[in-house]
Amino acid sequence: MATIPIGADRTIATRRAARRGLRALRQAPLIPLVILAVLVSVAILAPVLAPHGRLDPVKPTQERCLAKYGTPDCPYVDNVPPFWSRGSRLETPLGTDFLGRDVLSRLMYGARISLIVALTGALFAGAIGTVLGVLAGYMGRWWDEIIMRITDAWLTLPSLVFAILLSSVRGPGLWNVVLILALVFWSRYSRAVRGEVLSIRERDFVKLAEINGIGKLTIMWRHLIPNVMNTVMVLFSLQVGVAVIIEASLSFLGVGVPPPEPSWGLMMAQERESLMEGRWWLEIFPGICITLLVLSANMLGDWLRVRLDPQLRNR
Amino acid sequence: MKKYVLVRALYSVVTLWLLVTIIFALVRLTGDPVAMKAEAGADAAYVAQLRQSWGLDQPLHRQYLSFIGRLFRADFGHSFEKSLPVRDIYFERLPNSLKLGFAAFLISIVLGVPFGMLSALKVNSWWDHVGKLVALFGLSMPGFFLGLVLIMIFGTGLRWLPVLGKGSSAFVWSVPSTWVTFWFRDWAHLVMPAFALGWYFSGAMLRITRSGMLEVLGSDFIKLVRLKGVPERMVVARHALKNSMIPVLTFAGLNLLIMVNVAVVIEVIFNWPGVGQLLYDALSNRDFPMVQGVVLMSGLMIVLLNFTIDVLYGYVDPRIRLSL
Amino acid sequence: MLKKAFAILSGLTLTCGVAWGQGVPSTSRPILSGPLAKLDIKDAQVEAGRGTPKGGLRIGLHFGIDPGWFDPLGYHGAALQFFYLMHDALIKPMPQGEFTYGLAERAEMSADYRRAAFRLRPGLKFQDGHPLTTADVKWTYENYRGLNFKYLQEKVENIQVVDDRTIIFHFKGPFVDFLDLYNGSGSGIGWIVPRHYYEQVGKDGFKARPMGAGPFKFVSQEVGVQVSVEAWDQYWRRAPGVKTINVRAIRDLAARMAGLETGELDLAYGMTGKLLQRVMADPKLRWDRNYTSPWHLVFPGYNEPTSPFHDRRVRQAVSLAINRSFLVKQETQGIGKPWGNWISLETRDALRGDGTELPVPPYDPARAKQLLAEAGYPNGFDFDWYVPFAPYFDMAERILTDLRAVGMRSKMQMLDAPVYMAQTSKGRKGFPGNRTIVQRIDPRPGGAKELIRLYAVCAGQASYICEPRIEALWARHEASIDVAERDRLSKEIQRAIVESYYLVPVYLQPFVHAVTQKVLPEGEAVHRYWDTLNAPFPWPWEVWEVKS
Repeated sequence: MATIPIGADRTIATRRAARRGLRALRQAPLIPLVILAVLVSVAILAPVLAPHGRLDPVKPTQERCLAKYGTPDCPYVDNVPPFWSRGSRLETPLGTDFLGRDVLSRLMYGARISLIVALTGALFAGAIGTVLGVLAGYMGRWWDEIIMRITDAWLTLPSLVFAILLSSVRGPGLWNVVLILALVFWSRYSRAVRGEVLSIRERDFVKLAEINGIGKLTIMWRHLIPNVMNTVMVLFSLQVGVAVIIEASLSFLGVGVPPPEPSWGLMMAQERESLMEGRWWLEIFPGICITLLVLSANMLGDWLRVRLDPQLRNR
Repeated sequence: MKKYVLVRALYSVVTLWLLVTIIFALVRLTGDPVAMKAEAGADAAYVAQLRQSWGLDQPLHRQYLSFIGRLFRADFGHSFEKSLPVRDIYFERLPNSLKLGFAAFLISIVLGVPFGMLSALKVNSWWDHVGKLVALFGLSMPGFFLGLVLIMIFGTGLRWLPVLGKGSSAFVWSVPSTWVTFWFRDWAHLVMPAFALGWYFSGAMLRITRSGMLEVLGSDFIKLVRLKGVPERMVVARHALKNSMIPVLTFAGLNLLIMVNVAVVIEVIFNWPGVGQLLYDALSNRDFPMVQGVVLMSGLMIVLLNFTIDVLYGYVDPRIRLSL
Repeated sequence: MLKKAFAILSGLTLTCGVAWGQGVPSTSRPILSGPLAKLDIKDAQVEAGRGTPKGGLRIGLHFGIDPGWFDPLGYHGAALQFFYLMHDALIKPMPQGEFTYGLAERAEMSADYRRAAFRLRPGLKFQDGHPLTTADVKWTYENYRGLNFKYLQEKVENIQVVDDRTIIFHFKGPFVDFLDLYNGSGSGIGWIVPRHYYEQVGKDGFKARPMGAGPFKFVSQEVGVQVSVEAWDQYWRRAPGVKTINVRAIRDLAARMAGLETGELDLAYGMTGKLLQRVMADPKLRWDRNYTSPWHLVFPGYNEPTSPFHDRRVRQAVSLAINRSFLVKQETQGIGKPWGNWISLETRDALRGDGTELPVPPYDPARAKQLLAEAGYPNGFDFDWYVPFAPYFDMAERILTDLRAVGMRSKMQMLDAPVYMAQTSKGRKGFPGNRTIVQRIDPRPGGAKELIRLYAVCAGQASYICEPRIEALWARHEASIDVAERDRLSKEIQRAIVESYYLVPVYLQPFVHAVTQKVLPEGEAVHRYWDTLNAPFPWPWEVWEVKS
């Protein structure tokens, strides 16, 4: 943990780390950072940016209805192609789906869903895993044994399989998916954090605190947890990608975010026939979005890992 | 050595027991499985009889004990929807998933290992950067996305490959002649799903191979070999390769098992009748005994594999078995 | 002297009478004494020459297969296509008519409807060669635990086996609807199960390897995935036209379409929705409209005061909110018909919902919003789930969008067919809470009264409706033995249900099936396979022929 100076007070260490972090961010690879920034801002500003609603069909004009159905009035015009095709409309640049809903708006709100679910899921998992890892590493003996055995058992199950088991218990729903992600992934954090704590707790500043009679809980809270944050951050950034894929897979299978919400995985599941009919964009765009999000999260996570691990820096 | 094996075995048993308990607790949280199943026209008496036959009228601790007891007898219960024992249905489907897993495994090795080695040998060069990017890309694109694209291009587009299921060959436990022929037939059906499944893991294989090779290449042993004047090609081919393969193979073995179990979405897209599709069916039908059975089996397989790897490692590397 | 002559004369007469009696064909010899009810049962078409089965038929089913569907003793719907394949019934619906002789060559009911009798054909066997006798018929009845079994048990007093081919049912009271229930689809008791085999292999063994008296023998299955059967050329009626049939579960519409196009499938079900246009445009495919029954929405628990659907105006708003004409255009290319009843038009005492007897429900979202405001929901409301019939999820989203446009918001719960059918077969009890809308369809024969008995009366096994007015009408229906009066009451009940919006009908479903060129006969004559009334699937199977 060469980035945090030995024996420093926690507040100073955090401030310095923050300044360092900002400086470091400028050295981060540009492309994933930009992609992530775009996706996050789209997710946050979706209600403002999206040209139409995410659930309701786009209200068509009379000529459009006449052109497609031969009647001046129709609830919606479905399967409008995207901007590079003939027959596209300016107000729906990426076209509409089978229910006449704007694809671009749904993709934007889908970013919201993916990011909310993945971030909060990974966050909760991280919180649970960090706490348990610190307890196991520092309290030792029975705490360590029990927590680590449970962690090991938890880790034997592949994440998608475990997620499916839990979704058969909870059923579909956005917050259910968040809960599932937290329950599935916490074990990855606890293992790594415990390892970190085992090496940190022999450090001088921890020994100093113990000698001064500071309680165990305070030590864990003020000294251990801030110092494992690097490891946790790296794990977090790598886990976000996996979480996005798990949520997309669950929604694809119909047990994640239920329709009519525009989860990217769900959009892919619903438009499989369109692929056959040549309307490949309805299927491919959500897939590209998922890939971009996961790719940038992975690239950033990789960069973080190399930066924060002195051994790997020379590679 | 014996002590080591015993300790590892004990550890595996504890892990397994914990796993079983966790699954039991989580599945019971769902409410009343019998209410989902009772057949039409069944009156309250029949529902009560069904509940009793599944032991769900007992207090929780008794249910738990009988659950564990039945597991010892390899009784995973009866599937709700399919009305047949879970175990039988699972083992009927398992060879299909294994076939897909093996093929994906081969693809991941063929794609990942050579490029990983190339990346390590030409570290930080253009090759390396491209290789790392490709690996990352493989790990980022969901397998089912790739599967859908493949279907679009090769299935319904070019019509080169069939899109439905696994073909007519089947692994039938009661017919020994199928035990061998099953693995070598109907290759056309296997190509797309295996590629979609193996693609993700080839990225992982590439990285593992790369870091394994780099570690070996930087080791003292290799420095010594170089000092002795052995030509570089020999260094790589004879010494570096062999030693870097150990972590790669371990990782690969674990990956194979993971592939067999997480192929759910791939199996659904390609209508491949493996245990992944079984899990999905069970899920859509609220078939708890089946979901539970499949998850338990995958956990069991992985615990057994971990145990085997631990024992093998302990046999090969004395430091490990003595570090206990 | 006179006594002797008398004895000889009576002996002669007796002998002549007996001889004469033997000459009369048994099909017209009555079983029951006394006046008989007038029944309309068509004769079976037994083929004189026995051809050779040729070729294989590969079918793509649009939901997963439940092996429980191979066992008539547990019948609760969706299984009939497999019954027609592997089993046989005493009487069953066929292209000739709703009641057609199958295993039985004669069926009677006494005029007071207190007794029913059957005589089996001579020389019947199961597929393993074991003879099929009335002992099996009685055993099947007594071990049946499926749909309507409790109702049947309450009505039947005892079963009298006269001989190997003759059996008489005695009822506790007049049982007018007995034949409807016994007729192949009202329940499973008409489908005869081999007692010797069932007792030998047990319930699980029977589901793993079923056996019956039908035209096709079970060969193998991969549970939930596919079933293979082969022709039994000693079937009493005829040798089947195809040698093998393979049914595969392919839930995905695109996959079924791909299967038809590449030739991996010969017959595929459920081709409506996004790909119907493609089916219609493909010159190598033929497709049948196959009207089954109207889609309708039900509201489990609506009669509880906490339910938002308790108020009739809310249910009416649901009906007004659905744009049926646009829905049929999008979902069925206009083939579907917006319909005002929830019972199929092929059912003999059903009211027609095309405007002649019941009005086609109008589309009026403004009025729907107004009604909701009157009922106390000026901003609409959220309800828990919309549960569609698998796998018509696209259609469900269209309806959900329509409902949301007037303010009723919810999410879709996607269940696969086996669990959907299991839940809906329990009626109101299959769904927790009272804020759910379930989309249903049920094309079963047996008259509108069977559907009412099942879904619309308090005692119905799959009941969603429990209303005193309907109960009163139904009580009169059950008490009457006048067929005309029963029809009239049944129609009154249907009208009451629709006018009070206990059910909301949507449109008459075309359950489109597509076949490739491999299926014979060529050209449009292939539509004859869908001639059986009220049959969602193209049974009987023994008449199918393919190019080999």
